[in-house]
Formats: sequence, C-alpha cells, structure tokens
Amino acid sequence: MSFGLEAVGLVRSFGGLRAVDGVSFQLQRGQLLTVFGPNGAGKTTLLRMLGGVMRPTSGHVRVAGAPADVVSREWRHRVGIVSHQSLLYSQLTIAENLLFYGRLFGLTDLKTRIPERLASMGLSDRERTPVRELSRGLKQRVALARALLHDPEVVLLDEPYTGLDPHASAVLREQLASLKDGRRTVVLVTHNLKQGLELSDLVAVQVQGRFTSVTDSLSLNLAGLEALYHAAVENPA
Amino acid sequence: MRAYLALVWAVARKDLMVEFRTRERLTAMGAFAVLVGLLFNFSMDTAVVRPQDIAGALIWMTIIFGGLLGMGRTFRLEEEDGALTGILQSPIPLDALYLGKVLGNFVLLSVMTVLVFLVFGLFFDLRFSGSSVTLVAVVALGVLGFVSLTTLFSAMATRSSMGESLLPVLVFPLLVPVVVYGTTATDRLFAGRPVVEVGGNLRMLAAFAIMFTVAGAWLFRFVIEE
Repeated sequence: MSFGLEAVGLVRSFGGLRAVDGVSFQLQRGQLLTVFGPNGAGKTTLLRMLGGVMRPTSGHVRVAGAPADVVSREWRHRVGIVSHQSLLYSQLTIAENLLFYGRLFGLTDLKTRIPERLASMGLSDRERTPVRELSRGLKQRVALARALLHDPEVVLLDEPYTGLDPHASAVLREQLASLKDGRRTVVLVTHNLKQGLELSDLVAVQVQGRFTSVTDSLSLNLAGLEALYHAAVENPA
Repeated sequence: MRAYLALVWAVARKDLMVEFRTRERLTAMGAFAVLVGLLFNFSMDTAVVRPQDIAGALIWMTIIFGGLLGMGRTFRLEEEDGALTGILQSPIPLDALYLGKVLGNFVLLSVMTVLVFLVFGLFFDLRFSGSSVTLVAVVALGVLGFVSLTTLFSAMATRSSMGESLLPVLVFPLLVPVVVYGTTATDRLFAGRPVVEVGGNLRMLAAFAIMFTVAGAWLFRFVIEE
C-alpha cells in the first residue's frame, strides 16, 4: 500500500544534538497530521526538512510510494509552507508578493491564478495593499495564499495561529479546514491542543526529537489528548 | 536558459522595487558619498596636493566604504519576516538567487558610483581628458567584482551572530586586487594617459570580476543552506 506522505527514520543533527531523532509516520493522501510538542522538541526542524529548506542528516521521505529527494527542485514544487512568520515582504503589496513567489515557482498563468487565490482567501479587494498595512490575521491569509499558489499536494503548517486574536484564528481555521479536500496531505505543528485536534486525522506528540506516539484522532477527545501530551512530555523515555 | 535568467531578474527586480520604494540603502550610501567628498575637500591642502593625482584612490575608497554600508544589508529584507525561508522553499536554484542579488546590488552601487563621481567632480573640480568608455569599463568591472564578493559575504554575515560587523573583516583582504587595479587605472585615465596603459588593469579587473562571480555562485549554496 502506498501512502500520500511517508517519513522513514528522519534525523537531523546539529553537531552532537539530534534535533529530530528518527521520526517516522505514514499519511494517506488527504489526511492531516497534527504534531504537538513542547518548545525545542524539533517540530519546526521536522517541517523544515519536509519542506526542503533543510537537508536531513539521515532518513528519507516517500510520496505515493516513490522516494522523494526533499531538497530537490521537483519536491519543492510539490510542497507549500505556512509559518508563524508570514514569509512575505512587508514593503511589497499582496499582489507583488504573490507575483514574486509565483515567478520563483515558474508559474506562467499568474494573471489568472493570483486573483483566484486571493478570492478564495477573501482578499480580492486588497491586492494592492502593502503587506505592512495588514493585520496579523490578514497577513496569515496572504501567507496561506502564497503557500497554495503553486497548488502543492503537501502543505506544512508551522504554528499558523501564533499571534492571532480569536476571530482571526477562527477565520484561519476555516481556511485551513478547506485544505482537507482529499487532494492535499497536511502536516500541522501547533502548541494549541484544541485547535490542533479539531482538524487532525492523526496526532503525534514529539518530545526531544522523537515521536512518542502517533494516534488516530477519532480515538481521542481533548481530555484524552491532554493526558497523552502531558504523559509524553513528563516521561519522554 | 531563458527561464533561469527570468529567475535572476525576478530576484533583482524585487530587490530594486523595494529599494526604490524605501530608499534605505541608497540614502545611506548617497549621504556617505556626499559627506566623504565634503570632508576630503576640507581636509586636503590643494596648494600641496593636486586632487587630480589622487582622485582614483579617493573615489575607490569612497565607493568601497559607502558600498559596504549598502551591501551589508543585502539580506536584511529576507530576514524581516522569514522571507528567506520562503525563497529557500521555492525551486529557484541557489546560484540564480545569488546572481539576482548581485544584479540588484550592481545596479544600486552603480547609482552610488555615479553620485561619487559627480560629488568628487564638483568638490575637486576634476578635469577628465581620458577615454570615458574605458573609465566606465574600469568602474563597471571593479563594481561587479566588489558586489560579487560582498553579496556572498553578506549572506555569510547574515548567518553569523556577528552580523554586519563581520563583513569588512572578511571582505577587505580579498578586495585588494580590485582596489589596486581599479585605482591605478582610474588615476591613469584621469591623467589622460593612453588607453593601452590601462589594458592590463582592465584584464585583471575582468578576471577578478568573473572569478568572484563564478566562485560566489558556486559557494553561495554552502553559505545559505541550513
């Protein structure tokens, strides 16, 4: 059986420190995995490796059963990243940012693609607004539009709710829920147990670089997840 | 090849668009050029020293020190809200990213260089009787060598905890050939010497510009990749 996204023994070392230590998981196409963990657990490092920003020390990734070189250009065409940072240029307008990133991805239909993406994020009337004038919530929606511009099949979300007020969080949550369209495989990293559990199909707890558990979210309620999380953090071995 | 050049241009275009909108680097470099010209003007006794004779050295020192002010901030834009991660996650080849940065810096430093020549021409009443085309070639090759080197080391300084303060320490020793050949050629051209006398300097400047650019494009990935 082939999986939408499969990580096998991913390791990333910085000198003697193993920030990610043998992480493995399997996701069906269309599934969403939420990774929880304390600060410094290696969650962001894991996402940066999956996103092709950082080369794994060892281990590999497979997509639809085929090995994927995560630092190759081909892989980067298939992945989109949303971070707690917007990854946008504040001096440029929304449209200019999307145009720039679209060119980096070699997209040729940007005149139609950008308005479509902005419309799907409810930003049609703001395309000429400089990013520096946007609220944190709107910036995250632009960041999501940027990450989805090249229509990636794998989407990586690194603490996307950071700094958002409850309303902006709710709006972003709706946008993220729309990613579960059966086409995209999503990995979400968050500290917020409730928000993470709401969207996920699978949940993992990462402590000291390792996944201590990968659990079907249907078998968990919030109290169960809290118990699982605290047990993993307090007794990582 | 066309797609590759389009990527290089996309990076340079974005940098120039931001710079001409904010004018952060141009203002710093331009103000430095004017102030240095002014200070040299007051500090030099023209009864003893003919400005014409040392114009090359003064101009190149101003270009290099002023240029460092701007070049050191090459990756500042990318640091602001994690944009470098966005670029590194995109499929752009890292050498194209480097060359785009070099192209953007080349345009900015060329603008500053024109200002330096205007300032020094005005303050020191410099008369130029040599070959203008050759002077443009000397300056363009010197500036290209300078920006190729500083763009690479600026990326390195960005990744370092010492930041921009590291840049001069790394760059100055390697800039010696550009300073020597650029200054000599400029002095000779200002002295009205024949073009053939700067042929060797031009070839050396071209060699260093090409070497720095090619080496920079190759080494950039080791500097910028995590």
